[in-house]
Amino acid sequence: MTVKLTEKYNKNILELSGEIDMNASPVLRKELMALVKKRVTPLVIDFNNVSYIDSSGIATFVEGLKGMMAFGGKLKLAALPAAVKEIFNFSKLDRVFEIYGSVDDALNS
Amino acid sequence: MKNSAVITIPSHPRYLSVLRAVTAQMCMLSGMSENAVDEVKLAVDEACSNVIKHAYRGDTGRKIIIQFRIIPDSFEVIIEDNGIKARPERIEGRDLEEVRPGGLGIHLIKRAFDTFTFDKRKRRGNRLKLIRHKKVYHDS
Repeated sequence: MTVKLTEKYNKNILELSGEIDMNASPVLRKELMALVKKRVTPLVIDFNNVSYIDSSGIATFVEGLKGMMAFGGKLKLAALPAAVKEIFNFSKLDRVFEIYGSVDDALNS
Repeated sequence: MKNSAVITIPSHPRYLSVLRAVTAQMCMLSGMSENAVDEVKLAVDEACSNVIKHAYRGDTGRKIIIQFRIIPDSFEVIIEDNGIKARPERIEGRDLEEVRPGGLGIHLIKRAFDTFTFDKRKRRGNRLKLIRHKKVYHDS
């Protein structure tokens, strides 16, 4: 998995690619929680190139969301592939996260 | 043995991608739908992640043996380790209505498999047997 922080319309986007599993989650957690700590908001997570996520990846985003909510920040998930979205739906987290069809939709929300 | 395969992986999370690739191939050989392959692949990944986390407490130098069996009416996966004994009565997922990190893996395993049992005859470590019946995976 690779993680890259970019910017568009003066908003931050965390671009992820590859598989988010138990091997990748600690790397993602470190990056995500560093941004939460810096109170970077809104933060859009670009899932366009994510091919897989397991429960450790889901847990990382839950932790990130909780950290954001603690100071009133916004974590927005964008462009989730169907297989990834399905895991959020199954775990009923689609009701908790702000999920957008595209990065632009998330940026314009 | 016909229609079966066994792989041994080190208990390091970097080998989970290898495990997923083999699991997906075995699922496809058994004739599962694409959705079912995804469910089973995730479930086997979760079960082996649990071995690394709980049975081996993060020790990456141990081994996990995974056996796949394609049987006419079911697909079986047997996962063995030599780590700390699981206490099945204590394995419980979080309430899905509750928003907190963790506790999701067991739900993902039980979604994919009809049977989830630890072999009590194994004296050291764990032998987890997962069975998915064919009638279920044609519906997925």
